[in-house]
Amino acid sequence: MKIYLALTVVSMKMYFRNRQALFWALFFPLLVMLIFGMMNFNGYNAPSVGVHDEAKSEASRNLIKALQGDEEEVLKVSIGTPEEILHDLEFGESRAAIIIPKNYGVPGELAVLQVTYDERYTQERAVISTVLKQVTDGLFKEYAAVPDEYLVENSINVNESLIQGQGQGFKGWLIPGIAAMAIMQTGLFTVVFSLVRFKSQGVLRRLKATPIGAAHFLAGQLTTKAIVVVIQTYVLIIVGAVALGVSVNTGRLGAWFDLTILALLGGALFIAMGLAISGWAKSEETAAPMANVISMPMMFLSGVFFPLSVMPEWLTRWSQYLPLTYLADGMRAITVEGATVITLGNELIGLTVWIIVVFAIATKTFRWE
Amino acid sequence: MPALYSRLEDLLSKHPEAGQVNNTLIDPVIIANDIRKKYEDIDAVNGISFQVRRGEIFGMLGPNGAGKTTTVEILEGMRNADSGEAVIDGINVKKDPTAVKSIIGVQLQQNAFFDNLKLSEIVGMYAQLYETKVDPIEVLSRVGLEGRKNSKYAQLSGGQKQRLSIAVALVNDPVILFLDEPTTGLDPQARRQVWALVKKIRDDGATIVLTTHYMEEAEELCDRIAVIESGKIIAIDTPNALIDQLLATGFKPEKRLREATLDDVFLNLTGRDLRD
Repeated sequence: MKIYLALTVVSMKMYFRNRQALFWALFFPLLVMLIFGMMNFNGYNAPSVGVHDEAKSEASRNLIKALQGDEEEVLKVSIGTPEEILHDLEFGESRAAIIIPKNYGVPGELAVLQVTYDERYTQERAVISTVLKQVTDGLFKEYAAVPDEYLVENSINVNESLIQGQGQGFKGWLIPGIAAMAIMQTGLFTVVFSLVRFKSQGVLRRLKATPIGAAHFLAGQLTTKAIVVVIQTYVLIIVGAVALGVSVNTGRLGAWFDLTILALLGGALFIAMGLAISGWAKSEETAAPMANVISMPMMFLSGVFFPLSVMPEWLTRWSQYLPLTYLADGMRAITVEGATVITLGNELIGLTVWIIVVFAIATKTFRWE
Repeated sequence: MPALYSRLEDLLSKHPEAGQVNNTLIDPVIIANDIRKKYEDIDAVNGISFQVRRGEIFGMLGPNGAGKTTTVEILEGMRNADSGEAVIDGINVKKDPTAVKSIIGVQLQQNAFFDNLKLSEIVGMYAQLYETKVDPIEVLSRVGLEGRKNSKYAQLSGGQKQRLSIAVALVNDPVILFLDEPTTGLDPQARRQVWALVKKIRDDGATIVLTTHYMEEAEELCDRIAVIESGKIIAIDTPNALIDQLLATGFKPEKRLREATLDDVFLNLTGRDLRD
């Protein structure tokens, strides 16, 4: 009995000193559980609407506030130009575009709210329509302080129209997202599993003894990975489009060129990140779990599987700056939203900044021996 | 003049001690002059000077941590010395390490090659790193591995792995071949095969610098040896001269040597044939 106990203690010690096992046993499932838990699949998800406010008056600000709701979020409101809110609607990022006219709230005038819906989302349309009606009704009575028989319709009108959105729904969301995620995995784990192994086995040291040195060898390795990243992107998008029946914007030949540029930028970024991690981790055993710690949360927080809008705002405020978010958004813009590399703004800037930062860290931490 | 020179070389190879004047050789291919290297507070190499003659097998002996590998790595241009000078075939290592690397062949203590390449591909890749083109099969045949040209590194036996790493060190037809513990971990048969290979490479014209822990190996292979301890050379001479010097002090071995060794017994029982 005594021996058994002693052995159990030893075995427990061995287990709990194994950080990697602990990570997979505890930390990782916890992480996944929490992230999916936050997504709140079965509760009421406030539909998102884009609002353009031409009036910019107190009355219009109160209207927006009322649409958002007090304690519980009624609608997820984002403010933008008419072009922006219509674009969001067209590509499935919001469910309605609302334009508040200049004369909203001006006494004695008939203000017409222009509301556009995506005809595919009838449920959300009904919700938004009802909310609008109630809110304008309530606000009108509060402000105008007029007798009940004076009808709302005389002062505020809602003009509804429908468009056929172009977004490809969840599948159209998923395909470029997964392609971006795959670039991240290839970049990170290429380095963590092959380069770090070369380093720890002494292969790189042996190369250092040759006149050409390890640099050329590594350049060759990186070129290979760049080619792999591009091929991988093409395959995932083509197969995804065919297998899931999504029509992607790849009929335009230039889109492939744009995708290649984005894939290469992403590849460079995540290979550098792998180098930074492995330089910091010092051995293969610690580099791999570390790469997982970095890549796993990004997978869920960067809008790969689900739009960021299903997550709480305090989280998306940060996760919109993640490198994978920029890559996934950029790839999505090109494959399903008809953007080109030139029209990508934030995504390109974000990726470039990340590449510079990560390369700077990598050159500081990575050692060839 | 060239005739005279080759005659001199010939004489020197028969009488190695004759070329030495205060430890200075005629036409040395390696000159190490007061090399020092510190790691943090430890003097890894603490003022090492020696010269290696063209065409000899020079052994560096010493316990682990004595500074052999650091010294060799400084000569190979893989590590910078804190002070002192190393000249390889007339090239100052510190000034032009790339030029030195292109005329030497290196076999490291810990060798690893890519698991997913064939032997011929590994040899070909290394040839490219020296910007030369070789026939990989010919290089492999120099170490007796031509029959395994399509094998992967992981499939090789210990002796074959060691011979492959020597083959890779030969792709640039080096002037000097550095071998760091080439037979550590090998069985007696494989060890003897590596010895034969090393002698053959020397006979083909290369100079060889090797480190080892096996005195038998040093005695069998080396024309001259340097014994290193705590970062310093404490003895340097031919194996025979060192033994004579020891005997001259009145030294008697604890156990009288018999005519045969256990190594001979093992080889007699298991045969001299390689098992790979």
